[in-house]
Amino acid sequence: MADSLHRASPLPGGTVTLEGATLSAAPEMGRYSLRARDPAALAALIGRELPDAIGACSGGIARLGPDEFYALLPAQDALPSGEGGPVSIVDVSARAVGIVVEGAGAARAIMAGCPLDLDRMQPGRATRTVFEGVEILLVRETETRFQIDVWRSFASWLWRSLAGVNAA
Amino acid sequence: MLLIHCPYCDEKRPEIEFAYGGEAHIARPHDPSTLNDEEWEGHLFIRSNPRGRHHERWRHIHGCGRFFNAVRDTVTDKFETTYKAGEPRR
Repeated sequence: MADSLHRASPLPGGTVTLEGATLSAAPEMGRYSLRARDPAALAALIGRELPDAIGACSGGIARLGPDEFYALLPAQDALPSGEGGPVSIVDVSARAVGIVVEGAGAARAIMAGCPLDLDRMQPGRATRTVFEGVEILLVRETETRFQIDVWRSFASWLWRSLAGVNAA
Repeated sequence: MLLIHCPYCDEKRPEIEFAYGGEAHIARPHDPSTLNDEEWEGHLFIRSNPRGRHHERWRHIHGCGRFFNAVRDTVTDKFETTYKAGEPRR
């Protein structure tokens, strides 16, 4: 029975070519929303290092706020539930989908709808922000590669918007 | 574009990421049941609405999610300073 269950992506398959960049769907990932007043307790519980600065991203874990972290992990990686500890670890894998924007023109393509100055965003940084009216999580993996994490219900709109405003 | 300094992110970020949260440093009465109607109305609705320096709350809702306080000039719309919630009035 359960074998027939599968998660359908709200994104169209394939790759869209923009000016100097390509748009593609990120592979399925494990996503966790992590909250803890004491990050050291959280780090010990999940057995991973956490970034110190807000906006930093390392090992797939981004620090979004003083007590908030977001883990973007390969689909097979699982984190412990944290039950009983002074932390909150919630699996939100199905909440969002990823869009990868890659290429020399990637920053420009995103800045078409995002008010952040991406020229000043270093690789290895991640932050919540907006694209047009939609909240996104923007991760700059390298100089020319970004991953955008967006809630499923906004994803198809965001995809069309990214492709549309940047149409060559 | 108006840039607002978030004291938690320690960065200037675009205004569109923020939400306004009303006047700052309004303490909720410790025991509301002892207040008369006039005092309760004052707490809920009556704000200073100054011309010039205004202490107000903002939330970096599309960022770190935190509330913080800011001093903004209501005439020029310039932000004088921002500081973390819980810090004394500036």
